[in-house]
Amino acid sequence: MKNTILYITIICLLSGCNNKQSDIVNLYTQRHYKVDEIQYKNFEKLTGIKVNVVKSNADELIERLRNEGENSKADIFISVDAGKLQKAASMGLLQNISDDIQTGNIINTLLDVNDFWLPLTYRARILVYSNDRVDVSELDSYESLSDEKWKNRILVRSSSNAYNQALMASMIANNGYEGAKKWSKGIVENLARSPKGNDRDQVKAIYSGLGDVAIVNSYYIGLLLSSEKEEERKAGEAVSVFFPNQAENQRGTHINISGMGIAKNAPNLENAITLMNYLLSEEAQNTYVKNSYEYSVNKSVKPSEIVQKWGDFRIDSLDLNNLGVYREDAIEVFETTGWK
Amino acid sequence: MKIGGKLVLGLAILLIVLPILSLILYNLEVNPISTILNKPNVFIDSGYNTFYLLIITVFISIIFGLFPAWFVSLYSFKFKYLVDFLLYLPLAIPTYIMAFSYGEILSYTGPFQLFLRNYIPALSPFFNMDYLTIEVLGCVLGFSLFPYVYAASRISFTLIGQSYIHLSKMLGLNTLSTFFKVVLPLSTPAILSAVFLVCMEVLNEYGATKYFGVNTFTTEIFKTWYSLNDIGAAVGLSVVLLITVMTLYIFEHMYNAKTKINYKENTQLDFTFKKKITSTKPILFCIIPILFGFVFPFIFIVNNVIENILIFNFIDTLILAFNSISLSLLASLLIVLVLFYVLFVDKEYKTRASKTLNIFSSIGYALPGAVLALSLIIMSSQIKNNVISVSLTGTYFLLIHAYFIRFMAVGKSPIKSSFDKMPDNLSESAKNLGLGNLGLAKKLYLPLNKFALLTAFLLCFVDLMKELPMTLILRPFNFDTLATKTYEFAVEEMVDLSSIYSLIIILVCSASLFIVKKINHN
Repeated sequence: MKNTILYITIICLLSGCNNKQSDIVNLYTQRHYKVDEIQYKNFEKLTGIKVNVVKSNADELIERLRNEGENSKADIFISVDAGKLQKAASMGLLQNISDDIQTGNIINTLLDVNDFWLPLTYRARILVYSNDRVDVSELDSYESLSDEKWKNRILVRSSSNAYNQALMASMIANNGYEGAKKWSKGIVENLARSPKGNDRDQVKAIYSGLGDVAIVNSYYIGLLLSSEKEEERKAGEAVSVFFPNQAENQRGTHINISGMGIAKNAPNLENAITLMNYLLSEEAQNTYVKNSYEYSVNKSVKPSEIVQKWGDFRIDSLDLNNLGVYREDAIEVFETTGWK
Repeated sequence: MKIGGKLVLGLAILLIVLPILSLILYNLEVNPISTILNKPNVFIDSGYNTFYLLIITVFISIIFGLFPAWFVSLYSFKFKYLVDFLLYLPLAIPTYIMAFSYGEILSYTGPFQLFLRNYIPALSPFFNMDYLTIEVLGCVLGFSLFPYVYAASRISFTLIGQSYIHLSKMLGLNTLSTFFKVVLPLSTPAILSAVFLVCMEVLNEYGATKYFGVNTFTTEIFKTWYSLNDIGAAVGLSVVLLITVMTLYIFEHMYNAKTKINYKENTQLDFTFKKKITSTKPILFCIIPILFGFVFPFIFIVNNVIENILIFNFIDTLILAFNSISLSLLASLLIVLVLFYVLFVDKEYKTRASKTLNIFSSIGYALPGAVLALSLIIMSSQIKNNVISVSLTGTYFLLIHAYFIRFMAVGKSPIKSSFDKMPDNLSESAKNLGLGNLGLAKKLYLPLNKFALLTAFLLCFVDLMKELPMTLILRPFNFDTLATKTYEFAVEEMVDLSSIYSLIIILVCSASLFIVKKINHN
């Protein structure tokens, strides 16, 4: 019996320390889509470098990176929120992006001015509206949703959601703290129900007649429209997509990126650079848009068919680091204005 | 006791206390009071929500745990054994899967409202409402957790025995008054322990509460930690939660210690009081929790599996199932081995160390899993920096360590109650006949308690199969389990695609619970 326990212990210990070989790259990632697995498999086939992955929430991964310090095996940190990348960078967990990475084709406004992270894909936080009860001419900007005419008609998920926190941070960056607070108050007063559920639930709530306009990510409309379930497709078809803040004097629609940074103590730096170059290549970017409803960060790669139907739009050119910088203020705004 | 024995006990205590200590010591500059004072509204709000949610969940789990237990114990009816088993099965469905499933079932595009629209259109507008509320969440959690109360009540009713009941009958009490005046007071300690477990589960709940948009104390901890980046305050809040839970725990123990009840041995209510069922109410009381706690979500998940059967990758699914099952088996085996040792020493030597461990073994259950996981990461990097240069983070070792702390309490109670029933003179005689400690454990304790050990093993196994937050953050590279995969799909709003993983978890856990039921029945 004693021996068995000893062996088990030794095996347990060793199993975590067997990646001494040099042809690996270790990822701490918040992305866990099918398309990511495809990308890593293609990369392994192409280069022979094995991609090791730990997937969890961004905050937990950051916490793990911080606590591991110099002992961390992580090479690349990937998040679906620029704010989290900014957070990791500000905590000194990332190193500067190497000059060996090709960034020539990337949309300029998506790049980090401090050079700590690179974008992979992006999503827009858009408005969807009921085809029956809303005329497109009634819609204008995020700001206009606080107008009185939307009373009891707005749907949005809770403020604990990172996408909403990022949106509020962008409101603060653009309109100042007080401006954002006023807007948030207006939204709360106009809510059709208290914030809850996920993005798809907001669309379903429009379909059911609970509300008329919802703030959601473009990605999830694609998911609904391609659902196996007839009722879900119907929900997706009952609404239309609207890109807010597109008028000439307006700043553009709020977007957020999936992005990646190199860990401060990356043990396999060269392999990390090779992988990052691969993920930004036209080939890999095409794989992203074909297998998900995200937008490519590469200027020359077009989105998938469903997404193209919604049309082109201008993106808010705000420095995306602000999504992290104003995060705490954003939560304060949510808390003081009662956005649950 | 030999030095070696004390060492093992000391080590076990250290394993539990070290991570929690490192969490607190690492964040000593914390001042949780100031955080709470700064934003009283937020904490009043989350405190109120937590309390309200607890009340609803506890109410539902008592109603649907206690009464079915009484009916199943008292009456004999067709399929009684099956009903009895089905009343345990909600334990096989993780609460987060219950919440996601009910979210979908009740939504406007879900089967419930769709059915109404298609077949009873006149009624459908009345049911088109917002179901993601704290009240519905409380019911969902209640229907998911009532088996704790059911199990405790069943065991307690069986122990009460016939003489109390006979006496009450002779004094002219009818069945109802017998239940409220005799059976219920005698079972209060057992029910209280079960309610305590239900409360623990609710306090640790994170996935379901977040999906329903309900701010509880636990969601507040994570918001403070992650979004506000205030680790100190988050640790402080965790300590507040820990203290609250420990206080409840101590109260429960004090109450139970005060009310010592002399159960008659060898008298089983089941076999002496079989009555033919006369009204439909008891049947209804048993059927409702089975339907809501197991059948509805189960059918929903099976239906999703059938609809998406062509998309699933069966080899991947098999690998995931293998990962989940093998890891859970290994961890439960270790937990039971340690518990066996500790409780053996406690029974034979009654040392202070073993008593301490007894108390500490409940601490892990009192902290949210994710907080415990992070405290283990802190501990491991402190060890790496100060003691030996091996990083434990990302190894199975640390993951199993986490499981050990969290689930010791689960395995402890069946083994302890089985040990408690062993007469002291048995081991005295064995010792007189020349058995040493090893012989005592092997020849006396092991055979006499084998069912309790197996029960403890399987209960740990079920909980480990369902475990999510700790596995998510502590797992090694490229290691997925059924639970983590379910979560990944659910968080991306693709509940359908996670159904096959949920289904395997439910089937494996149901099979384990079936064995538990079987061995304890015999």
